Amino acid sequence: MSALFRLVGVGGVIAYRALFNWTTPSIFVGTLLVGPLFQLFFFAYLGREFGVADDRFYIVGNAVLTAALACVYGGTMAVANERRFGTLGHVLLSPRSRTAIFLGRVLPYAGNGLLIAASTLTVAALLLGLRIPATALPGLLLALAAASLTCGFFGLTLGALGLRFRDVFLISNVAVALLLLFTGVNVPADSLPAGIRAVGAVLPITHAADAARRLAGGATLGDALPAIGVELAVGVGYAVLAAGLLTVFEAESRRRASLDTL
Amino acid sequence: MIAVGALLHVKQLSRSPFEIAIALFVPVVQATLAVYLFRAGGEPDRLLEAAVGAGLMGVWSTVLFGSGGAIQSQRWQGTLEMIMLAPRSPALVLLPVTLATGITGTYAMLATLAWGRLLYGIPLDFAHPVAFPVAVAGCIAGLGMFGLLLASSFVLLRHANALANMLEYPIWLVSGMLVPVTALPGWTGPVAAVLPTTWGARAVHEAAAGGPVWPALGGCLAISLACLAVGWVLMTYVERRARVAATLALA
Repeated sequence: MSALFRLVGVGGVIAYRALFNWTTPSIFVGTLLVGPLFQLFFFAYLGREFGVADDRFYIVGNAVLTAALACVYGGTMAVANERRFGTLGHVLLSPRSRTAIFLGRVLPYAGNGLLIAASTLTVAALLLGLRIPATALPGLLLALAAASLTCGFFGLTLGALGLRFRDVFLISNVAVALLLLFTGVNVPADSLPAGIRAVGAVLPITHAADAARRLAGGATLGDALPAIGVELAVGVGYAVLAAGLLTVFEAESRRRASLDTL
Repeated sequence: MIAVGALLHVKQLSRSPFEIAIALFVPVVQATLAVYLFRAGGEPDRLLEAAVGAGLMGVWSTVLFGSGGAIQSQRWQGTLEMIMLAPRSPALVLLPVTLATGITGTYAMLATLAWGRLLYGIPLDFAHPVAFPVAVAGCIAGLGMFGLLLASSFVLLRHANALANMLEYPIWLVSGMLVPVTALPGWTGPVAAVLPTTWGARAVHEAAAGGPVWPALGGCLAISLACLAVGWVLMTYVERRARVAATLALA
């Protein structure tokens, strides 16, 4: 069992260091800390202009959404960059469980997403004057962690498609754009059509954003736990889907000899 | 040469499924989001503004990432040395590339307008139907010229990708593409005033919703020409420096 944890934990961290493209501090800060902050400001001012919802709705919702940037692209890169760098064959030749290898890779990206979401929320709350009760902080951290983990598994699911389709970053770019709309982070759910709400219910972020908003509004952790639980359930669903797709596409790519086709 | 070069690069960009899908799809998602926001905010009369604004956002994204990465793209394709060996000014050779990114940005504008019309029944009742396409064309030409400044300055920066990633939302915000500049803090006013995107967006919005189009369009083109001049000088400097240091092919 300890060997499995080592494979998942240490393997994930090593792969993160090898495959993550934005390793210099300036690129990390610019892309993952400052960029999402401007995204939040954009929607916060848009929300203020139309008076659709208050600052808390936009600041907290978009802070949760910022986790998606690192986690969805990261989860995708965890598979796609192996192929791009020519190392996918070596990974798939490993005698260890590839499912464990790839699931472990999500963890550093989820940690990254949590850092980004927490820093974005902190800076935005300070700059835009949102007061969050101190008692809400542990619950908020839990909601952000759940969102990050779910986004990571969602990204890994998209990355698994990279074993079958050539341009997986097209899929991840489109997916991140769709999260803006379908998760109800920027438009209150009751203003969205039922179809969009239904899709949003099985996407990452939706339930975590709901939980985080409740907590920031003064609700207790007990009130927010059901939504956090649903978010984690969605995450588990994507983890299972990713594992299934990785197994199927790995077998297919071996059969079709298309492993390193770019 | 500029026209033929721009046409060539438009054709090349238009053959990239990634570029086309991103130029068409992402602005449509943003337009949809804007439409629901405008509706929820009790502003159903401004839906055309939402579609136009989302289209402008798409144009800026295309110019930012296309022009910002123009030199890097040529380097990856292995064509940078050939371009720099051409007996014309490097800026003149690169300008068609950045203009092409602006022109492909029109896909975003067309996509959001068509999407709004077909799916949400937004009437395309432009206040100035003749001035609207002129304003869009002027805005795109302006952004293409601004793109040369981006291309030449980004190549001087080691981590230009980070800057490009950071600049998408701030320019959308400060230029008033979807959020009116009057809704922003006062200190953003001077920043917005020196950006060609602000004047270009204003011209296009005023052509769509009503207002004096030509002063804004003139402002956009004047600032863009200034950016072109600075970009031209920078590009010449960058090219000379890269030749002297033998770093042209190095990332």
